[in-house]
Parts: sequence; C-alpha cells; structure tokens
Amino acid sequence: MTIRRLTVQALIFLALTCFYVVSYTTLLQLHSHTKQTVRSGSGLWNLPPVILLAISGEFKGLMADYLTLEVGAQLGSELVRKPKGGFRIVQKEYNWPSIHRLFVASQTLDPSFAQTYIVAQGWLPWQPANMVTETQAILKLAAKNRHWDWRPFHTMGFNAYYFLNKSGEAGKFFLEAAKPPNAPSFLTILGARLAQKGGETETAISIITSMLADKNTDEPGYTDMFDRLHALKGVLVIEQAIHRYEKAMGRKPLTLEELTTTGILGNMPPNPYNLSYCIDETGIIYFDKPECQKSMPSGSTL
Amino acid sequence: MQALRNIWFLALATCTEGIRHRALWAILCLAVLLTMANLGFTTLYAWDLGKVSVEFGLSAVALTGLLLVFFLGMRILADDLERSRIFMLLSRPVSIWQYLTGKFLGLSFVLGISTVILGIAAALSMYYVLSHYPSHVPPNFSWITYCMALVCQWLSLVVLLAVSLLCFSFASQPFVALLLAVASYLVGQNMELLRRVVVENTHAGALTGQETLVTALSWIFPNLSLFDKKFVAAYGLAFSGQEFMLLCLYGASYSALLIYLASLLFKRKELA
Repeated sequence: MTIRRLTVQALIFLALTCFYVVSYTTLLQLHSHTKQTVRSGSGLWNLPPVILLAISGEFKGLMADYLTLEVGAQLGSELVRKPKGGFRIVQKEYNWPSIHRLFVASQTLDPSFAQTYIVAQGWLPWQPANMVTETQAILKLAAKNRHWDWRPFHTMGFNAYYFLNKSGEAGKFFLEAAKPPNAPSFLTILGARLAQKGGETETAISIITSMLADKNTDEPGYTDMFDRLHALKGVLVIEQAIHRYEKAMGRKPLTLEELTTTGILGNMPPNPYNLSYCIDETGIIYFDKPECQKSMPSGSTL
Repeated sequence: MQALRNIWFLALATCTEGIRHRALWAILCLAVLLTMANLGFTTLYAWDLGKVSVEFGLSAVALTGLLLVFFLGMRILADDLERSRIFMLLSRPVSIWQYLTGKFLGLSFVLGISTVILGIAAALSMYYVLSHYPSHVPPNFSWITYCMALVCQWLSLVVLLAVSLLCFSFASQPFVALLLAVASYLVGQNMELLRRVVVENTHAGALTGQETLVTALSWIFPNLSLFDKKFVAAYGLAFSGQEFMLLCLYGASYSALLIYLASLLFKRKELA
C-alpha cells in the first residue's frame, strides 16, 4: 500500500515537473523568437514624458540609467550558434522610431546624462536609421543641460557639416562648443572657418568677440583667437564691399583687385597672417589661401 | 519638563524597538549588498560613471528609508494598538501628543541611523568609483553637497513619517493607513510636476484653469520632490546653503503641523 502510494506521488511529481519544464521551455523559445523590435516597440517607454516622470518619482535618474542599459543591450550585432558548431554574426533588424523613443524617454528622465546622447549619436544619425534631425534634438537638449560639456555642441557641429552639409550652422555649433573652459582650443578656429565659409561671418565675429571678452590675454589660445577675429573682420569688410560691387555692376568681382580699382574699397583690410585675401569662383573669401583660385576648387574642404 | 522627559523616554524606547526588529541588521546587510552592487552596476557604463554611482547610492538610501517608513514604522505603531501597549502608556501621565511626538522622534532616529549607515556605505563605493575613474568625476562634484543631499533625503523620509502618523491617527485599520501613506507619497513626489504642468502649460487637459486647486493641493500634500537632490549631488550642481536651510525649515514645520493634527485626530480614534 505504501509503495503504491509512493509510486503515485512520484508519478504526480514527475508529471508536474514535466509540465513545468515544457511550459517554461516553450515560453523561453517564444521569447527568443520574438524580435527585438517588438521588445523595444512596446512597453512603459512609449508613455508621454510627463507620465514617465510621474511614475519614476524620485528614482527617475536611476530609471534613466536603466533605460540607457536597455538601449545598449538591444543595439549591436547578435552572435548565433551554428548547428555544426561555432558562431555567426547576425545583423539585427531594428525599429528605429522605437529605439529613438527609448533615447527620448531616457533623456526626459535625466536630460544631463552623457551616455544617452553619446550612444544616440553612435547609432541614430547613421544609415540605416538616418535620423539626423532627431539626433540633433537629443544633442540640443543635452547641450542645454550640460553647460560644462563641450561635446554635445561639437557633435551637433559634426552632424551639421557631415550629414546636413551646412557649413555655416556647423561653424556656429563649433563656436558654441568652444565656450566651456575645458573645451579644446581648435574648436574656435574650426568654428570660425566653417561659419565664415557658410556665410555666417558676422555670427563668427560676434561669438569670438564674446569669447575673448571672458579670456585673459595670457591664456593659451588667446593670440590665435585674436588673429582669427581680425582676419574675419577683414573678410567681413571685403564681403560687404563685394555686396556693394554686385549692386553697382550687376555681377560679382572676378578678383579682389576689382574692388580697389573701382573705388568701392579704398584699401584691402589688414590681414594678421600677412597674406593677401583671395576670392574663389563661388565668392568665398579666404584670408590664409592667397592662391585660392588656383588651388581651391569649389566646395573644397578645410 | 516632564513632558520633554516623557517624549525622550518614548523616543528612545521606540528607537530601541526599531533596532530590536532587526531592521538595522537587515539594513547593514543591504548596505553591504548595495555597495557591491553599486561597484558592479556603475562599471556597466562608459560615461558619467560618477553620476551613476552617486545616483545609485542615494537611491538606495531613499528606497531603504521608504521600506522602513511604510513597514517598520507602521508595524511599530500598529503593534502598540494590537498588543494594547498603548493603554499602558496612556494610563500613565503621558498625553497623546507626547506619545505621538515620542514615537515620531524615535522612528526619525531609526531613519537617521539607517541613512547614516547607507550613506557611508554609498560614499565608500562612490569614493572607489570616483578615484578609479577620475575623468568621470563631475566638474564641480562636492562631498559637502552629497552630505546635504543625504540630509535632504532623510528630511523627506521624516516628512513622510509624519504623513504616515497622521494617516494612522484617523484610519480605522493599519492597512488603510499604509495605503493612504503610500498614496500621499506618490502625490507628494509628483506635486511639483503637477504644479508646473498646470501653471506653465495652457494645454493641461482637464486640469486647464485649475491653478488654484493645484496650488491648494500643493499646500496640503507634502512637496517631497523639493527634497530630491540626487540630481544636484550627482552632477555637482550648485546647492545653496540658503535653500538647504529653507528645506530644513519646511520639513520641520510641515512635520510639526502634521503631528499636531495627528494628536487632535488621535483623541477621536476608537482605541479599543
């Protein structure tokens, strides 16, 4: 009787165990076959920002940390085991709008977190996501909340130049990036060059002037910025003269000498680099390329 | 003088009772675990490691404090009623307000001890992270700001404890009091957000034009989000002494008012 009872109990235990193993294995298989897009496309993170903030309460910073981990875990290639052994790399398919929402949710919870904008920049503006405008919005918010960090504006400048092909805008971003005290000094020069190239000479002058006002004359990079400012001021004088010339003659001058010979510009402004100013065939003025008409084809890079 | 002595005696007894619940031992274990978790969790990130570490440490303090308020605090109060210990106390020359103030202070001590233990544990793990990854230390990070944020965290818990006492003073069941306290916590955490949404946003749905109602609510419920200085400590942002003092005053005055109201309501409570 006892053996029979024990056998029955063992059978019940085995049946229950089998039931548990089968159900759990099936569930795991279902999860492994579920695409990442489904995982990222649904859930709490699609809620409006205010609701997310309300749910997170005082743990919003921690929640933002978790979200960036979640994004990081979803992005990247996947290693799949081959039947004959070894692994092969599988490129996953992403639902980019959902991934973008995760970044936005993380930034809503903690707008200052560096990991969010850096990982977003690593993925969103590039193919196949191609979400440059959305990335710029994320970077803009990061820049607003990280006044000590030069990288968000620097990255915005890169995106504007590389993806959007807007030199003037890129220049303005680089000049903004140069403002924090720990920013690399090359940003001012780069920003000024791009801003001027993109027709934003006045903006470049005003930004550099404001930056110089906060610097001491003995600080590293002061002289470079000072020279660049005066060169840009010279460029601005020439640009304004070209504008007047165009009104009077109905065309742009082919050389800068035409400005002085026609009397529109009395003398060429001084160039701190002791070089002649030059105008290329697209009308861009150079202060450091006296042979720009020969050596610089249109649309040339820095 | 006798009143102060009674309060002090009750506060010490409550604190001892809190420790006897082995809550502090659990907190010590939690502190060790969270310190180790902080070290592991932080290194999962590539940027802003300092921020993640500080945020994690202060969040651990907040979470533990919440558990203590909602479970240990309410349990101790409920035990007094269920085991009829309150009759023994109130039959002595101890008034209801003295009883409630003593309980409140005793539980505040327990919260203070746990905050100090967890705060030190978090600071140790943060120190490890910050010293090993100096490039990730926020530019103006300050240990003083961290300590001030820790005190604000404790104040927030003390205010919540006062809310719990008030709920306990009129709720018929401890469980109902717990639910009310949790609801007040959720409202208090989002009060500033709600106020901003309604006052600064003209498209606030059903709440549009209800600025007066929301402002009134923000005066009734505790504005707990004001005490949340994790962000400030994590990014090394400016935290003025004036704001800190005002927060202390706000916390103290709001708690005192609630304890007073609780003593009024407690007199009408059916104790038997």
